[in-house]
Amino acid sequence: MTGNRLATAIPVLWGVSFLTFLVINRLPGDAAQQLLGINATPQQIEELRGKLNLDEPFLTRYFDWLGHALTGDLGRSFASDQSVTSILSERLPVTFELLAYALIVSLLFTVPVALLAARRPNGIVDRITMATSMAGLSVANYVLALVLVYVFAVKLEWLPAIGYVNPADGIWPFIKSLTLPAVSIGFPLFCFYTRLLRADILEQMQGEDYVVTAKAKGVGPWRVLARHALPNSMFGLLTVVGLNIGTLIGVTVIIESIFSLPGIGGALLEAINNRDILVVQGIVLVLAVIVVLSNLVTDLLYAVLDPRIRYGRAAA
Amino acid sequence: MTVLLNAGYEGAWPAGLDPATNTNGAANQSLMNSIYGQLFELGEGGKVIPDLATGLKLEDGGKTVKITLRPGVKFTDGTAFDADAVAFNIKRDLKSSCTCRPTWPVKSVTTEGTDTVVLNFSAPYGAISNSFFDSNANWIASPTALKQLGERKFRVTPVGAGPFKVVSNKLSSELALERNPTYWKQGRPYLDKLTFKSIGGDEAAYQAMLAGQADAYEDMSTPQLVQQARKSGKFTVTQQLSTSPYNIQLNTDRPPFNDKKARDAIYYATDSEAIRSHIFNNLYPTTQSFTGPGGLFHQAEVDGYKTYDLEKAKALVKELGGLTVDLGTINVLVAKNTIQALQSQWAQAGIKTTIHSYDLAPLIQAFQGKKWQAMLQTAGSFDPAAGVGVAFRFSSMSPFSGVHDKKLDGMLGQAAGELDQTKRGQQYADIAKYMSDQSYSPFLFAFAPANVAKKGVTGPGLTSALPAVVVSPMVLWEEVSTSGGKS
Repeated sequence: MTGNRLATAIPVLWGVSFLTFLVINRLPGDAAQQLLGINATPQQIEELRGKLNLDEPFLTRYFDWLGHALTGDLGRSFASDQSVTSILSERLPVTFELLAYALIVSLLFTVPVALLAARRPNGIVDRITMATSMAGLSVANYVLALVLVYVFAVKLEWLPAIGYVNPADGIWPFIKSLTLPAVSIGFPLFCFYTRLLRADILEQMQGEDYVVTAKAKGVGPWRVLARHALPNSMFGLLTVVGLNIGTLIGVTVIIESIFSLPGIGGALLEAINNRDILVVQGIVLVLAVIVVLSNLVTDLLYAVLDPRIRYGRAAA
Repeated sequence: MTVLLNAGYEGAWPAGLDPATNTNGAANQSLMNSIYGQLFELGEGGKVIPDLATGLKLEDGGKTVKITLRPGVKFTDGTAFDADAVAFNIKRDLKSSCTCRPTWPVKSVTTEGTDTVVLNFSAPYGAISNSFFDSNANWIASPTALKQLGERKFRVTPVGAGPFKVVSNKLSSELALERNPTYWKQGRPYLDKLTFKSIGGDEAAYQAMLAGQADAYEDMSTPQLVQQARKSGKFTVTQQLSTSPYNIQLNTDRPPFNDKKARDAIYYATDSEAIRSHIFNNLYPTTQSFTGPGGLFHQAEVDGYKTYDLEKAKALVKELGGLTVDLGTINVLVAKNTIQALQSQWAQAGIKTTIHSYDLAPLIQAFQGKKWQAMLQTAGSFDPAAGVGVAFRFSSMSPFSGVHDKKLDGMLGQAAGELDQTKRGQQYADIAKYMSDQSYSPFLFAFAPANVAKKGVTGPGLTSALPAVVVSPMVLWEEVSTSGGKS
């Protein structure tokens, strides 16, 4: 199954790379114009276009890039002349750590809170949870980020307002440096995931025969929730988390900029603004690979959670 | 010491920090000056301060320019800062694709001995001593380091003879510098370490300042935050001296502004005083010509300038049988607020206005398409003839001009070539009057951002106002100190 899924990923990645190249090329202005700015004369722009090979036909440039990409050479930035792989290796770990932190924290809180809320629907815990999650979903990430900075960095002085500390320079300072950005991304996710999981658990608790059977056998309510209803309610959450990975990169653009983090989101935005096609291509391609892999992992987790998927594979 | 820079402008250095290839050089003044120093600095009151150069002499009626250099200076790689190095850099800058390259009428660049560089011009250029700050020729890179590292690596780890040297450089994110122990000026710089960090906007920067995580923020432009920072009592807020006022460019090549009555109507319908006071809390001074109070030959008022008069505007619009205007600007907060205000002001005079704010690329396309009608832009520079000066917006030769007037072209050319500064002043006054009489462009206010510094931090350009170069003043980082004298 894994081999087949990876094979189907190839046309997906090719499509992503082609569409990205096409879209960036269709945007008004090109790298030469963007890099030289508003004061540039048409002669200066033409001169730089020639240097960057932007005067070559679109397909020639695309297949030239693709040929090199297949050998692991993603090209060099038009702006800085740095290799795209060096930009990725410098910036991607920061974004990866940030997103991993945000996802882990949000999921760690989601499961117990959703269980508590589903234990007594419309009870006090459930109502507080629903109100909090609605508030969290209504606040934009950047507003939440500024509020968190004001409370935890300016007023309480517990956490840094800006900057990134490499894990090699100390785990605790590293965690502190990413806490506010991770919460800014993770809190709305937690709110969304909690509502989703709570609804799925309630559906399982109210309509499924195995729950009734478990209750009839005298299994305690918490055990029914945690051991029986929860695993069967995780499919929706897993699907959403898998799909979220790709869209979260958009959020990191803003959050990295507010917290002055040297991540890939900022690099992507700058590359788009500069029409730095090869950097955009490289970043989008790597992100596409991550999304494909995360969806593959999600599918594998389905098999772990649902015995029927395993039986199906065995029968096949 | 940590300094925050706005990611949208001075905090973006995607092309690295080589003077010849950094196409964002004009915005990255602080970074470039810290690493390379300057041949000439722009000091208080517009005084030109020789820094790595010691003087500039005009000969042959202004066609020969001799720049003498400070003797005994070394780059941070230990090689000599001499005439050959400076000539090498200037030749390289002249060929660079950066729009910050010098616009001098250069025929050749030669040297005399080890301490004199000679620029041979095809025509006199009166703005020469004021034009170094606007160009990348002010920053001298080590030719030896450039050769050894190669252009690619040099962009990331540049070597100069400035007050600081590079420790690490993450492009458009963080530049860490440390004191240059061999800096030519005894006892300078005061700071041991200087780190520039890019941050996403005024609000985030202000919060970081409040949290004590930065010592200074350059170029705050949100009026409410500037006021808040002032009132907080925690910061020194310094409003800089603008050299480039906002103006409404009118495209005189096509309707409706090929008709002077339509241009007059815009002048009379525009209440710049109301915009200045109600939207921008009187932060920016009014002006009626193409330089701000920080620039040379500034005129706050021009004789005969058509000021706000709603009745006259209404009468002209009626006479024209109505007036419909398409008004654009660049996608920045101050500009967008201003065109919204103009739209409502002009509506009172019966002018129907459609407004657009463009990102840089579409804005350039709009100019190049030549179909635009009116654009809110900034016009001017410290010396009107240098950099993005008055000719950029009003000369027939500029693709970003809405005026094609041979008489004005002649006047601008004459003023740029004049060596006598008193005569130049009179010539620019005549130009301002002529432009006002022809109703070529209403000028609004001289916008300049503010610098915010933690109490105890002092330095020229940071806590005392200096004239702006392009948009911001050049902070003299070697003179910046914290309360202990060092940081």
